Amino acid sequence: MKNWYKCAGTLTVLVLLGLALLYSGPSVGAGSGGKITGTIKLEGAPAHQRPIDMSKDPVCAQQHTGNPVRTETVVVGPNGGLEYGVVYISEGLPAGAANAVSSQPVTFDQKGCVYHPHVIAVDVGQKIEVATHDPTTHNIHPLPSAGSGNIGWNKSQPPGSPPFETTWKAPEVAIPVKCNIHPWMHGYMAVVKGPHAVSDDKGSYTIDNVPPGNYTLTAWQETYGTQTQKVTVASGKSATADFTFKGK
Amino acid sequence: MAGARRGLPCLLLLAFVFLGSLRPAVAIPAFARKYGLPCSACHEAWPKLNVFGQTFKDNGYQLMNDRDSPIWQNPSYWPVTMRITPHWHRESVNKVGVDTEAGFNSAEVKTMSHGFDLSGLDILSGGTLYNNISFLLVPSFENTGDAFSFESAWVRFDNLLKTPWLNFKVGKFELDNIISEKRGMTLSSQGGGYQLYHFIPLAELVNGSPVINTFVQLGDNQLGLEVMGHSKNDRTRYSVAVISSNDGGVNLPNGNSYSTYITASQAFDTGKLGVQRVGGYFFAGEAPTFYLQQNGANLAGTGTGNKSFHREGAFALFYLKKLDFSVYYQHGWDSPYFGTGTGANQTLPDGARAATWNGAFVETHYTLNPQLIFIQRSEFVRMSQQPLPGIPSSFGNIDAYTFATRWYPIMFSRAGLALHGEYSLVRQQGAAPVSLTSLTGSSVFLGFDFDF
Amino acid sequence: MRAKLARWLFFVVAAAVFALCATSWGQESQGMGMESHIGKLTGHARAGAPLYRRFCIGCHGSLGDGEGENAMWIDPKPRNFTLGIFKCRSTPSGTLPTDEDLFETIARGVLNSNMPQWRPLTDQDRADLIAYVKHFSPRFVSEKPGPPIQVPPEPEVTAERIKAGQATFKRIECWKCHGVEGRGNGPSADTLTDDQNRPIKPFNFHDTDRFKCGASDQDLYKIFMTGLDGTPMPSFMDNLKPDDAWDLVFYLRTLQPMHTKAKDIAQQLGLKPINPYAPAK
Repeated sequence: MKNWYKCAGTLTVLVLLGLALLYSGPSVGAGSGGKITGTIKLEGAPAHQRPIDMSKDPVCAQQHTGNPVRTETVVVGPNGGLEYGVVYISEGLPAGAANAVSSQPVTFDQKGCVYHPHVIAVDVGQKIEVATHDPTTHNIHPLPSAGSGNIGWNKSQPPGSPPFETTWKAPEVAIPVKCNIHPWMHGYMAVVKGPHAVSDDKGSYTIDNVPPGNYTLTAWQETYGTQTQKVTVASGKSATADFTFKGK
Repeated sequence: MAGARRGLPCLLLLAFVFLGSLRPAVAIPAFARKYGLPCSACHEAWPKLNVFGQTFKDNGYQLMNDRDSPIWQNPSYWPVTMRITPHWHRESVNKVGVDTEAGFNSAEVKTMSHGFDLSGLDILSGGTLYNNISFLLVPSFENTGDAFSFESAWVRFDNLLKTPWLNFKVGKFELDNIISEKRGMTLSSQGGGYQLYHFIPLAELVNGSPVINTFVQLGDNQLGLEVMGHSKNDRTRYSVAVISSNDGGVNLPNGNSYSTYITASQAFDTGKLGVQRVGGYFFAGEAPTFYLQQNGANLAGTGTGNKSFHREGAFALFYLKKLDFSVYYQHGWDSPYFGTGTGANQTLPDGARAATWNGAFVETHYTLNPQLIFIQRSEFVRMSQQPLPGIPSSFGNIDAYTFATRWYPIMFSRAGLALHGEYSLVRQQGAAPVSLTSLTGSSVFLGFDFDF
Repeated sequence: MRAKLARWLFFVVAAAVFALCATSWGQESQGMGMESHIGKLTGHARAGAPLYRRFCIGCHGSLGDGEGENAMWIDPKPRNFTLGIFKCRSTPSGTLPTDEDLFETIARGVLNSNMPQWRPLTDQDRADLIAYVKHFSPRFVSEKPGPPIQVPPEPEVTAERIKAGQATFKRIECWKCHGVEGRGNGPSADTLTDDQNRPIKPFNFHDTDRFKCGASDQDLYKIFMTGLDGTPMPSFMDNLKPDDAWDLVFYLRTLQPMHTKAKDIAQQLGLKPINPYAPAK
């Protein structure tokens, strides 16, 4: 009987401790946030990007007359900067910072029968606004992997449809999105916990609001996979972490 | 009763021919291969069908999802199954007529024979020729060497007028017995078949060939045409068959006579217990009583002097979860011409009357799971009227008991293997060849039943 | 000494047996308490287990992952129950189907696949099977089925409605996959793949009077409103009002081989297949 009480006591303390940790998180992150910046580069020749044949849907093809869109599995800017890389903190975040959800929706647009942007990154539970500006019907068909905790769906968006909102329940880098009607359309939704960024056309990225601490940083690119490195962020300071992927 | 002695060797011979041919015929891994379903999907334990298998059969070997036509099959698919049963068995008969110094067939002894043996080979080819056209072809090779025949050969046009209520079949086929002997769970020579599906009054057998009403037996595959129909879920079903009274024999051995078999049944869904089915049947027809003679022998196909017979009764399948009962009742009536062995061109003996009888069996299965089943059957036939006044009322009565178990060490959709053990005992009053007392035969059967 | 050894052995064996029982019991209880509710019927996964073994295992596999011994020979492939994704639903895309949806699916089978009609089984057996099928996916523990869509009463079919349905067929671009005449030969038809990246064909309306998910007008309404999850067929419920949806149902009925009232009206109208690239009036 006595042991029982002891057990319950320990449990209560643990629960309280956990709660304290949970609530102390955001307060640490708020005022004294540092940031991580860097560049994702590609060394060597990028994989060839084929021009997309949109002739099966003239409505799509007309929008790119004389200037065909190319695939976007590897998009390299000046000086080998790699666009559409997702950088996020994979280890070391306090629970508060990891569970913070941005209230800002991210737009995933369909324009010219291509996803804009090609890759988005969102928090778990952060709103994604799926929009279309095309005079053709699309179906938005995300395919999360089995067991990820995310469930796929498949919705149509005929021309002129208003945007709709959606969220994801579990972290997953990254959920492929396709349109069955236009099989060349490929995009990704990276769902992560905590601060994150997507590299721009020069390959650079900035992750804001990182609480001070030692972290493992992961960069993901759809063709070249992931890379990780350790990074230390001091209060209010900016840390640098560059990634280099090797082309074949 | 002097004629009895002459008739008896013939009777025994007949009996063995019947029993020897009583092998279950239909359990077809070729279907399982075609559709990817395990044996157990269609068979309670093969070869006995369950409700799903019965529906598949009634749909003309179709699952009814547009994948039934052979065009969907890989060209290498071969719709053929083979089945054979190597086994050891022991046959015991308590009174066999033997020759002594007093003359031929003048004493009775008990005989027992045992050894390793083979069943005949069944080659079952069946399936669809096209959407809603199905077929079955079963050439049968007896293990004795030279006999070749078609056990089954028919083509069927299914879902005529787009309704399951109308299907048309022509060829040689099993009568629509829901309690199918061809899918019987017992294999031994004594217990392999249902007595009632082949019953002929003993007095009729001993009174003298050639006028024996063997022309039509419920358990034998018959040549004719059938119109059959059922509800979508197969709970209600009927069949009407018109057949030649030739007992399935080809080249019209008997004559120009026909019989009709009508059956209908209704099943009820009783929740956790299962599906219960009750039904009835009526089988009536005519068969010849004499032939033109040529060199002292019957001239095939000239049978005439048709006389009638009928069999009618009821059957039921009761399920109590894993335990089920197949119940069968029959009343039989044979024209006095058959009972007394009289051709219609002669006068009946004094006091001649129709032979009538009643019979029933209960077969019980306990299907522990699709891989282990226990079987029991008790069958009784009682004469209610002998064709001639002098014949003891119990003459020809049968008591038969069978116990069996089948264990299927593997259960998948390519082939089937069962270890089969069985004991059966059949006693018939008055069938002992000399003393005309009761004759008892028993079988012990241990074997591997396989098909692929 | 010997007695001691024997006693010791006994305890070891007993402990082993107990441990084994405990773990296997634990495994068994995982999801085996799953129930299904169809009307007044309650199905139990435990009762469904032997039925699944008897009827389903050859294609769907002992683990319910659609990898049964015959799966490799079958096309379309058997459903993987562990994912909890089902084509035939009355619920929105991305949500679980209701028990009734699954119950109906196994009764009618799946057209153009190896999945037979399981109508001959008792309702209780099918309810038990549904409970067992659900037990394979953790989704049925953590989630509830989506809210079933309301199918409003079917209006009277009119020439106006059929014309409007044809306009909708053109506007929401059903023809991209199903073709301008609904023959399953639209410009995107050849490239379609399912969620496992296996080729899949769009439905040809001229083939048959049934669909994968039923045969009635109400079934057809549900099919395009909720979409067929796991396939390229998306949900249109955000884009179609009930009236539009009924119009589309009536138009699609003019494409099928059987005789329908809609078909008669279309014939009177002299309705021609759409020309998707013609300028809008």
